[in-house]
Order: sequence, then C-alpha cells, then structure tokens
Amino acid sequence: MNDSIRLSTLTQLIQDTIQSRFEGEVFTVSARIMNVKKYESSRRCYLTLEEYEFGTKITEIRAVFWANTYSEIEKFEKVLRQPFRDGAEITCKVKVRYHKVYGLNLDVLQIDVAHALGTLELERQQTLERLVRENPETIQLFDGIYRTYNNRLSLPMVISRIALITAPNSDGQRDFLQELKQNKHEYQFSITEFLTTIQGDNAHQLILEQLQLIEQSKESFDLVAIVRGGGSLGDFKPFDDYALSAYVAKFPVPVFTGIGHDRNQSIVDLMAREQKTPTKVAAMIVEHNFSFENTLIELRRRVTDATTRQLDRATERLEQAKRIIRLSSPQDILNRGFAIIMHNNKIVVDPKIITAEMQLQTILKNETIHSTVTKKTKNEKRIEL
Amino acid sequence: MKSELNYNEAYSKLQDLVEQLEDGNIPLDKLAANVKQANELLAICENKLRQIQTDIETAAVKVSKTDKRKK
Repeated sequence: MNDSIRLSTLTQLIQDTIQSRFEGEVFTVSARIMNVKKYESSRRCYLTLEEYEFGTKITEIRAVFWANTYSEIEKFEKVLRQPFRDGAEITCKVKVRYHKVYGLNLDVLQIDVAHALGTLELERQQTLERLVRENPETIQLFDGIYRTYNNRLSLPMVISRIALITAPNSDGQRDFLQELKQNKHEYQFSITEFLTTIQGDNAHQLILEQLQLIEQSKESFDLVAIVRGGGSLGDFKPFDDYALSAYVAKFPVPVFTGIGHDRNQSIVDLMAREQKTPTKVAAMIVEHNFSFENTLIELRRRVTDATTRQLDRATERLEQAKRIIRLSSPQDILNRGFAIIMHNNKIVVDPKIITAEMQLQTILKNETIHSTVTKKTKNEKRIEL
Repeated sequence: MKSELNYNEAYSKLQDLVEQLEDGNIPLDKLAANVKQANELLAICENKLRQIQTDIETAAVKVSKTDKRKK
C-alpha cells in the first residue's frame, strides 16, 4: 500500500490524458436526452445523453449547456415547437471535458436543429401518407389539400351550441370565451367545456377521449372547437398523432382548430378546419352567424319591396278604374252639358219610338224641360261633338 | 253586393265592368246601375287593400319587436 498516490494526482493524470486526446476536438453525436434540468435564471442546463439499442440503454454520459450555448435550447424549442425535455432525440456537437471535481462531461456546443426538423417532418409526412392510405373513405388528398369527411361537413346556418376542448385556465380558453361573449352583435352561445391537458406525452389520448365524450351526444352540438393558447412554445406533437388525426377526420360534428401557431399546420389542422388561434375560431363563428343574419335582412327587404310594389300597382289600378267610372256616370255626363231624354219615366234610348205629339222630358244638369214633339227629322250628316 | 268577395274576385268583377264602361256597350238605362255597382266594387277593393296594407305593417312591426326582444 506504500505505492499509493494521492487521488488528485490520479485525477490530474486522467485530466491530462483526456486533454491530450480530446483537446480542441469536436464530435457530432446523436442521442436521447434524459434527466434534463434547466436553470433559466443562470442559463444552464444539465442532462444526460443516452443511447439505446433494442430498447436497452447501452451508454450514458453527463452533458451540460453553459450560458454561452443555452440559446441552442431556445432555438430548438422555437423552431421545432416542442419543449426540450426528456425523451427528445437530438444530434449535437460536443466537446469532451474532464474536471477533477465534477468528473467527465460533454459540453454541448450546438444542436443540429435542421436534422431534428427533418426527422420531425419525415415522421409527419409518413403519418399523413398512412392516414390517406388507411382511411380512403374519410381522407383524400386532392391537389395538396386534404379533404376529409369532417372538413367537408356543412355548417348549420346558425352556430349556437359549441363543444370546447381546451386546457383549464389557459390563455386559449380565456381568449375564445372572451371573443364569443363580447361579440358586437350580442349573439348568445351555449358553450360546453371539455377541459383536458392539451400538451404533454398523453395529450393526444386525452383530447381523443374528450372527442369520444362529445360524440356520445353529437346531436347536442353544432361545432367542436379545439383551442390552445397562442404564442406558447407548447408541444406540437399531440396534434400530429395518427389516432387523433384519424378520429378528427371522421368526426361527425364540424371541428375547428385554433391551436396557436403560425409557422406550420399540424395534421389535426389539416383534418379539420383551421383558424390558427382561439380568437380567430370564435370570430369565425360570430362572422358565420352574422352572414346568416345578413341573408335574413336581405330577404326581409325583398319581401317589403315586393309587397310595396304590388300594393302600389293595385292602388294605381283602382285609381284608374275610379276615373273611368266617374266619367261614365250619368251625373258626370249631365255635368258635361249632355241631356237625357225621358218618356213616361223611362230613358229614351231608341229615337224610333218618338212620334209627333209625344210628351217628353229633357233632363239637364239642374233643370228638366217638359215638351211636346212637333216634328222629327233625320240628321243629314253625323253631328260631331 | 256580397261583402264576402275577396280582393281578387271583387277586382275581377270591377275590371269587367270598367271594360264595359270603356267600350260604351252598356245601354244608357243600365248605366247608372252599373256605375253604382262599379263604385261598390271599388269601395270593397279599396277597403280590402287598406286592410292588407295594415296587416303587412302590423306583421312588420311584430317581427321588428321580436328581433329587439331576442337581442
């Protein structure tokens, strides 16, 4: 035991050995991240990088993001729209470092976001292809647009009964309800909330369960809104899930999504009707009802115009009839200077009955002339009056 | 004159009478009676038209009040 050396001597030896082997060298590795501990205030992140083979862990090493590389984590979350957390697969550049107190570590210098994005996009494309292949009745792809049973359902003329799937006390819930309740037309809505976690590993299953609940009373709803707070860096993954997407595609009540993102569309967005944000979903509902009200206003105007026109025409015809009747009345004829000849209280229509010595009454406007016929002659030519 | 005539029936009879008056085919001794009948038909038509107008206006007001209540 006299040959013992100080531990620090050994660790120094290790450090020197590692340093001489790895000094200035950068490696690119692919690994699964686990035991992620982020310290945002000091901008550090401690984690382990792990590799698995057939489900078994075959290696593990501690890794660190220091303050000068912490922005790589933020970039990862921003671009991939998913949190940097246990289970994520990353490809990154690392440097080997040994510290006599803290041991062996990999300093992470950079995450290959493009690679991660490519992997994610590949998975997404595979899911979309599988959806079309395995659900030909409910999902078809035409000119790059996914036509599903759900997004081709016609909307009711008025939307009033809404099933809302959202996270409790979330920005999405608040924005959606506020937009509907404060609509300037004062439309009333019946909103039934189906609250659940919208993010995380199980979210797709939880959302699907809420949809199953809604389907049990599908006759009670005009529309389903799935909303999530805008601007969050929340997990995008649940909305790319195959089972959830297939379920939405064949869902019997129109589904609108407002899951708060503008960079890309999730697969659920493509299977339903997408409105980007909770506020936009609510605004669309209000606008839809306003459009129906406008149709009614227009129909009412047309009814009023048509009935007014018809009544005016009828009034005009009656006025015309009145004028003709007035001109035809015997009193009007007398007023115009004509006379009526009567014999034995009967109007003489045929002058042939008039003979000499006959007693006649000539009725004028204000007077009657009693006379005896002395002579009757035929007019040589027609008298023009 | 039967007052149960509806507007179209009354107007149709009135139209016939007016055409006869315009054509001058009515014997003079029947003219007064025909003019009287035409005036009665005219009154029926005018009354019915006024009633129809009032009914339409009442219906419009009812719809408008219902709309306001809804809001």
